[in-house]
Amino acid sequence: MREIIRLVTVLTVLCVLAAMALARVYEFTKDPIVNQRRLAKLRAVEAVIPEHENQPDQDTVTIDIGEGNKRLVYRGTLEGQITGIAFEVSSSKGYGGEVVAMLGLDPNGLIYGIEIVRHSETPGLGAKITTPEFRSQFKGRSISNTKFMLKKDGGDIDQVTGATTSPRAIVKAIREGMEFFNDHKDTITEDKG
Amino acid sequence: MGKLIIIIMSTVLVNNFVLARIIGICPFLGVSKKTETAVGMGMAVIFVITLAASVTWTLFTYILAPLNITYMQTIVFILVIAVLVQFVEMVIMKTSPALYQALGIYLPLITTNCCVLAVSVITVQLSYTFIETVVFALGTSVGFTLALILFAGIRERLSLSEIPKSFEGTAIALITAGLLSLAFLGFSGLVK
Amino acid sequence: MSVLNDFLNGFWNENPVFRLVLGMCATMAITTQAINGIGMGLAATFVLVCSNFVVSVMRKIIPEKVRLAVFIVVIATFVTIVDLVMEGFFYEIHKALGVFIPLIVVNCIIIARAEAFASKYPVINSIADGLGMGLGFTISITVLGMIRELLGNGTIFGITIFSKSYQAFLLALIPGGAFIALGLLLGMMNKINEKLGYKG
Repeated sequence: MREIIRLVTVLTVLCVLAAMALARVYEFTKDPIVNQRRLAKLRAVEAVIPEHENQPDQDTVTIDIGEGNKRLVYRGTLEGQITGIAFEVSSSKGYGGEVVAMLGLDPNGLIYGIEIVRHSETPGLGAKITTPEFRSQFKGRSISNTKFMLKKDGGDIDQVTGATTSPRAIVKAIREGMEFFNDHKDTITEDKG
Repeated sequence: MGKLIIIIMSTVLVNNFVLARIIGICPFLGVSKKTETAVGMGMAVIFVITLAASVTWTLFTYILAPLNITYMQTIVFILVIAVLVQFVEMVIMKTSPALYQALGIYLPLITTNCCVLAVSVITVQLSYTFIETVVFALGTSVGFTLALILFAGIRERLSLSEIPKSFEGTAIALITAGLLSLAFLGFSGLVK
Repeated sequence: MSVLNDFLNGFWNENPVFRLVLGMCATMAITTQAINGIGMGLAATFVLVCSNFVVSVMRKIIPEKVRLAVFIVVIATFVTIVDLVMEGFFYEIHKALGVFIPLIVVNCIIIARAEAFASKYPVINSIADGLGMGLGFTISITVLGMIRELLGNGTIFGITIFSKSYQAFLLALIPGGAFIALGLLLGMMNKINEKLGYKG
């Protein structure tokens, strides 16, 4: 009996000490982590919209896209005018699961840039979607002048690489993003103030 | 339903933990010398992973997340897994000596099988629902077992062939595993 | 002298990756780039040194029966610390290593050193052992990362080595290539040891 009490005491004390130590480290790293996550997102947004003077993550619109899902739209402004709009698009049809991209548009709905935020594709194969060669071809395209499908599938987008699954997934995500923008254009570009 | 089928296909074949994500290599190399032991280990892993993922998911969703102490997840998960393995071992020993005979020696090894912890961590990271978590855990462990049994079969044959001396043992096993992994790459196009 | 020996032990004689074949998952999964090898190696070294230190300090009061549970709690605590600090201050590399950071907990090297070394030897020796093993691990996986990055991408640490016309050897980057590369390296190390007269 005494043995068991000793075992339990040692383990309990140890766990309490561990929890206390972690709580301190957590407090210490909490702000840097929040900050890093924000910066990572902000970098992606800023890379895909034209010149602006505000902090796009301070000027956002949340739009209900049905089934309880919401989409956060970032807006960049210059002298009170909206110069760029960015939001995340995603597709779960890649090899390795979800592919997430930041899609940036100018106020007329032409694509300004895309950034791949997250992908878990095979390095070298599917990861070609992160290369500038692939991404730059989207600039200036809009839903009215482009068929957002791979050339192989009868669309206008060059897959660049031998692999088709990942480019196909990302193109589909972008197409859905463009349709989303078209449907909610007025709400997104509406002046909040 | 569609999503569940995709999860199964993806975890068993396309993103097989061992061969595509390279998680769970130690037991994969360690207990793959004989097909029989591979089958035993595989069954034990299927059982423990599915159980552990359900428990850790529940703990995370209803205790860690509401209390805002998700940073305790690694400690809590690994302790749950260790306790669970012990508990399963005791229950099996009491209720089914035959099963214990078959699985007994593999159970302690499972605590340090990275697959178990990885499944727990990944399912909460992807914010899966409970059902998705169970399916993911089941798929992953079946995929692990599949890879293990295939690999054990190859290694049995391999032990009969002549291999350069410096490549005997782990070196040739790794190269074989590499070829198996390349073969699994062929499943890549499966999930569309 | 013996402290130095404990340190050097992890480098070659009992190099965790190439001699003991431990910690394989991280070794192969994250070594698509050399920098990942350094990040993972140093993270594991930190955990290894700290857990060896704590286990060695407590070696007289840890009850035999629950020692594995104690090791696990100690290791998991340090892993969580590394996880939080890396996310806060080294965000990019934290993102690249992903799930493999929490998986340091089940890296066999760390628990094996706690059990086989730290729970038996004095604090100074245990720290030396942790450092030696940790750096042996770091160097091994960084070398593997350098080889794979060079073959697969023509760069090392992101610096271009082969010119742009280099046709990337994709096999080096995919998981299958990881297995094969490590298998070949192991075979080569065995050959070297044979020549040097070590016993395998």
